[in-house]
Amino acid sequence: MNRLTGFSRAGMAGAAILVVAALVALIAPLLISADALDVTRVTAAPWQTPGAQHWLGTDHTGRSVALLVVQGAGTSLFVGLTAAVLSVGIGTLVGIVSGHFGGLVAGALLRVTDFFLVLPALVLAIALSTVLPRGLGTIVLAIGLTSWPSTARMVRAQTLTIEARPFVERARALGGGHGHVIGRHVLPSVVPLVLVNTTLAVASSIVAESTLAFLGLGDPTRISWGAMLHQAQLHGAVPQRAWWFLLPPGLAIVVVVLAFTLVGRALEAVVTPKR
Amino acid sequence: MRVKLCALLAIATTVGLAAPPATAQGPVILKVAIVQQIDSMNPFLAVFQSSTEVGRLMYDYLTAYAADDQTVTEGIANRWEPSADKLTWTFTVPEGKKWSDGQPITARDVAFTYNLMLTDEVARTANGSFVTNFESVTATDDRTVVIKTKAPQVTMLALDIPIVPKHVWEKVTSIKDYANDQMPVVGSGPFVLTEHVAGQFIKLKANKNYWRGAAKYDELHFVYFQNSDAAVQALGKGEVDLINRMAPAQFDSLAGKDGVTRNKAQGRRFTELLINPGAQTRTGEPIGDGSPALKDVRVRRAIAQAVDLDALVQRVNLGYAEKGAGLVPPVFTKWHWQPSASELRKFDPAAANAALDAAGFPRKADGTRFGLRLVGRAGRAYDEQASEYLKRSMSDIGIPLDVRLVSDNQLNEVTTAATYDLAFSGWATNVDPDFILGLHTCGQRPGADGKGGTTDAYFCDQTYDRLYAQQLSEFDEGKRVEIVKQMQARFYDQVPAVVLAYDNALEGYRSDHFARFTTQPAQGGVIMAQNGMWGYYGAEPAQRAAQATGSRWPVIAIGGAALVVLVLAGVVLARRRQATAGERE
Repeated sequence: MNRLTGFSRAGMAGAAILVVAALVALIAPLLISADALDVTRVTAAPWQTPGAQHWLGTDHTGRSVALLVVQGAGTSLFVGLTAAVLSVGIGTLVGIVSGHFGGLVAGALLRVTDFFLVLPALVLAIALSTVLPRGLGTIVLAIGLTSWPSTARMVRAQTLTIEARPFVERARALGGGHGHVIGRHVLPSVVPLVLVNTTLAVASSIVAESTLAFLGLGDPTRISWGAMLHQAQLHGAVPQRAWWFLLPPGLAIVVVVLAFTLVGRALEAVVTPKR
Repeated sequence: MRVKLCALLAIATTVGLAAPPATAQGPVILKVAIVQQIDSMNPFLAVFQSSTEVGRLMYDYLTAYAADDQTVTEGIANRWEPSADKLTWTFTVPEGKKWSDGQPITARDVAFTYNLMLTDEVARTANGSFVTNFESVTATDDRTVVIKTKAPQVTMLALDIPIVPKHVWEKVTSIKDYANDQMPVVGSGPFVLTEHVAGQFIKLKANKNYWRGAAKYDELHFVYFQNSDAAVQALGKGEVDLINRMAPAQFDSLAGKDGVTRNKAQGRRFTELLINPGAQTRTGEPIGDGSPALKDVRVRRAIAQAVDLDALVQRVNLGYAEKGAGLVPPVFTKWHWQPSASELRKFDPAAANAALDAAGFPRKADGTRFGLRLVGRAGRAYDEQASEYLKRSMSDIGIPLDVRLVSDNQLNEVTTAATYDLAFSGWATNVDPDFILGLHTCGQRPGADGKGGTTDAYFCDQTYDRLYAQQLSEFDEGKRVEIVKQMQARFYDQVPAVVLAYDNALEGYRSDHFARFTTQPAQGGVIMAQNGMWGYYGAEPAQRAAQATGSRWPVIAIGGAALVVLVLAGVVLARRRQATAGERE
């Protein structure tokens, strides 16, 4: 009972926002004609204030900001999700392997984890996205490769707790190999934790993507919320006082990140046993 | 809790009020915002516009260009005399001019500078084109320099070479490694370099020994900004006094702002799109990795034809530019060239498609012919926006573009190493077109080690070089203009680069701090990026009284900010106490 209400209040709100955002991201590209977002084809005047025709005004080239925000949802969510999956995937693998095998393997893996843990993630991501060719894949890789260590630490801790339990010992005594123990016992107990972690990682990945794009390191050919902020900043939205070009992508980031965090927190409350 | 807060508040307020009022009678400083990085302070190596701009303030040239009409006027030398055969030029350096350290400026300094460039290949990096035709340079006495040329040269009064002090530079062993950062840097110009922190600021002081008389204010600071948006903001707030190279949208945003005056000038810069014509070194070794398709002039023409210059000027420059054609911008009316009706390459994607088909690059099954890379500078509004247009234009003729926006230095590396297919570039031109034309001669291509030349587009064309040599020795101005126009026509026809637009120079200054700037030319001219230093040198500060009024505001602002922080902290603490234990972590 208590669990359910805990989830339904904030978590349900977050989930609802996410469903809407996902629907928008999926349907928008089908409804928006390519011409409306092509700077060489648009006909509207630049820097129009919000009005009946353009709900959120127009940008420096005359594209509708509302359409850009809607179009940007796809990129931001896609990068957020894939980067989070990549990051949590690496983290889980490293965590389970180091927790299960121990010894030299764990030592080596943990030192690598420590190395990435102390390295400022943003600096590393900037360096990676400068060296690698520009594109969506690079951004995903840059975020994924820099944000896995905390997941690895957590999963390792969980693995160690699980493996200390008597039923794992029993499985071992009955002749269960590494594959059996990891696949049948450790993984199922770790999965809820990983799931929660992924939800929270998506939120930070979206912020990371926006940061990189804002710094001009994103894929210059794609519209994302961070890229919109970058262009607004570059083409003088601030001196133009064009708040309608800056606020919507910023608020969109805040809302979606908040939604993921709410859902993550709610899930966390459900899966972790009471203290 | 409450008591503590009040005490803190009291302290904050007293601290704020007790701060001493800012002194109104400090040195008068002109603060200029710059965005472009400095490649070198060494005038023999400096190529970036920002570096040569600072170089002009530090060192005078042999001759100068007047502020009002850009005619040749006194520089280091005040008199000059060509011989009858135009092969020997005698310049006179008058008595009384001094370096900033008090040493007299003599003809020997001039001879030293030119001879250094003649003997040291590295010293020719930045301005080599001016001396390639020199036979010998000698100082017959302290006042007289005699320059002998191999062939008659028309640009003898337009030698844009900073003259350096012999007594400093003769101790330099390696020009390549000399950073020229022994502060204060001895110079002959109106300002002396006193401090340079790369990427942060450049500080210069007025040269009290300057022969035209010291500037009307004390210090000139160049302050770096990460992007021009921040610079525009800083101008609006009065943190800097002068900015240039604004984007059109930024220029528009300053309209009607109090204390800010805008200056829309006919610029001497053009923006171009380089098309790698198969880069080679001076000796003919291929370098870089440009697309082989671009070696075909028909392909380059087709690409140029598919670019809608009018749309770029209207939508990207917002009309603050003129459509590009020849290498010399229209501000230099005499030398400017426009294609005739038969030469004109009208925007016509269909014709471009047909030309590419005919050149042997048919569309493949997926509708593309071959891919190209386009390199531009990240953070430059023009590049980011124009690349979208070019991407569309090129995809219309079956060429998918891979747009790469990189940093200033990376862009420079890519263009000097010729590892590009298409790249954005741009040059400022001089009064005499020799420099900009000389950039495209075969001899300007780099040597085998990739150093020692400033080619713009790796262009090498026999016809063009022949015309270049011709105009260099044509003393009949009417005929020379004709040849210069033919060269531009040849360049336009061979398209190693497409001149996209002649940008208007969009500048703004704090008219409440500085009342007047000298523009060049006097009508519709620029303040920054001149053929000279008049804009900075001639700046006149406004009444000091007007400046002093703002000095209390920072104190109030800091006090206010501290107050807000304290109140917020109080609120957060109070709420935290109320919050249930369950909500805390």
